[in-house]
Amino acid sequence: MTLLRNRHAVIGGVLVGFVTLLAVLGPWLAPFDYEAVDMEAVWAPPGGEHLMGADALGRDVLSRFLVGARVSLGVALSVLAITLVIGVTLGVVSGYVGGLVDTLVMRLADIIFAFPELILAILVAAVLGPGKLAVVVSLALVWWPGIARLTRSLVLSLKSALFVDAAITSGTPTARILLQHILPNIAAPIAVRASLGVGFIIMAEATLSFLGLGVQEPEPTWGAMIRDGIGALRTDPHLALFASLGLATVVIGFNFLGDGLRDWLDPKASSR
Amino acid sequence: MWRFAFRRVFGIVLVLFVAVVLTFGALQYVPGDPILILLGDQSGDVELEARLRAEYGLDRPLTEQFVSYLGGVLRGDFGLSFRFASTPVKDVLATGLAISPVLALVALVLSVPLGIGLGTFAARRKGTLADSLTMFVLVLGISIPNFALASFLVYLFAVRVPLLPVAGWGTPAQAVLPLVLLIVPAMVYIGRLTRTYLLEVLQEDYIRTARAKGLREHLVIYRHALRNTLVPLSTSIGIIFGGLLSGTFVVETIFNIPGLGSLAIQSVFARDYPVVMAVVLLYTLFYSLINLGVDLLYGVLDPRIRLSS
Repeated sequence: MTLLRNRHAVIGGVLVGFVTLLAVLGPWLAPFDYEAVDMEAVWAPPGGEHLMGADALGRDVLSRFLVGARVSLGVALSVLAITLVIGVTLGVVSGYVGGLVDTLVMRLADIIFAFPELILAILVAAVLGPGKLAVVVSLALVWWPGIARLTRSLVLSLKSALFVDAAITSGTPTARILLQHILPNIAAPIAVRASLGVGFIIMAEATLSFLGLGVQEPEPTWGAMIRDGIGALRTDPHLALFASLGLATVVIGFNFLGDGLRDWLDPKASSR
Repeated sequence: MWRFAFRRVFGIVLVLFVAVVLTFGALQYVPGDPILILLGDQSGDVELEARLRAEYGLDRPLTEQFVSYLGGVLRGDFGLSFRFASTPVKDVLATGLAISPVLALVALVLSVPLGIGLGTFAARRKGTLADSLTMFVLVLGISIPNFALASFLVYLFAVRVPLLPVAGWGTPAQAVLPLVLLIVPAMVYIGRLTRTYLLEVLQEDYIRTARAKGLREHLVIYRHALRNTLVPLSTSIGIIFGGLLSGTFVVETIFNIPGLGSLAIQSVFARDYPVVMAVVLLYTLFYSLINLGVDLLYGVLDPRIRLSS
């Protein structure tokens, strides 16, 4: 109930919900085949048959926009799923077991933090070749240490809690302590962190696609559409402007939603 | 202090060594045989192939190649380019090296005072409409990717109202939009942090004391509060510089600036891997040096850090 009173969370939720709906229904809403080349419609202006106009190959921008939403969200969710599995697992083990495992995991995280993230992405793109796989691998590589560090610190603060001691003394197996006692108690802050991360992951994916290292033609992404559109900004601005608008809306939506969720869980933070 | 400094320097040497191992490893796993690519339609020429292999050192055992790669990197020699036959990577990098780091540093120097100014403006008016509006602009600035912002700005200031050139490099006017695009996200990030830290510091007892003894508000803010936000703020400079380095890739691609970023991207597509790896190493080095500088500065600014280590 209180969440609905948080303006940021509501605005963010509406924007995210809207874009998610577009992404899910995209292929059915798209008026044209996103790959269909139409030489008659090259750089057709918005309006008429092509609501958002057409691109350099006469492909319908609205259709590519809708499918692009699906690709962006799909990549972001895959990256999120991988970082959560790796980050939470390593964080829990590192925090609960400690010792050598802890040192190794945290040193590895430190080393990854020591690189500018785009640089790692370029290294991965060079080895794997530009494409969707390179994007997912490089973003997962960059994002798991943050989740692992957060999880570890949460586990450390719970490790000495009375209910954990009680579980240990009553002979509960370690795996069960982790899954049934610790995990439910750390899930909320991790979820907030994850929701704050989605906006940045989408932005990073778009950046890589914009640079040409990400998702490749003919599959549309907003990042690549902006790159194609920026060259034609002088004569046919609609491609770059629509794609930029879409991208900005999603990222703003996720950031607002994340901010709202954080304030909701931690009322102290909202006064700032 | 010296132990603290030594530990930081050792950490950086370790990171750079890992970077050299990673880039060397990556060079072994990249697709395609560079010599065959260089040979092109002369691929039947066995003698030329052997000569090129020897020139590029690819006929030697892997361990030997690594040692000479490491030795070369230490002397600033990154081997030979695959795209430009027999040209040292060093020479390929020369132009970009004079552009990208300078662009990032200028943007950093400009965005720090702008960001602190914005954050202070909002914090002093906490809870008012001016504060909400500033915060809204800051969230917007963080959320709009700079290349999306670029399409709006280029459209407005180079197409609609033709004040500035659309692209290119060399004149001061051509540097305006790239710099603005680099500065906005950095400024906005600093602005948000400044507001948060400043509001925190303003709760402190010594601020109440300063106000109680009748000190004027701007002295309270600038002499007492803002100084103490500079300490936590300085730790974020490294992250911001990292963001600016990434930003140069985007900005150079948009405006056709012959910097290290656009060179690295072109080199990925041209399979000129030694150039890509050299840029990766250089950017890691810049990033590490800035972080080292920030750590040392932090130690100087805050005696608690210096003494506890």
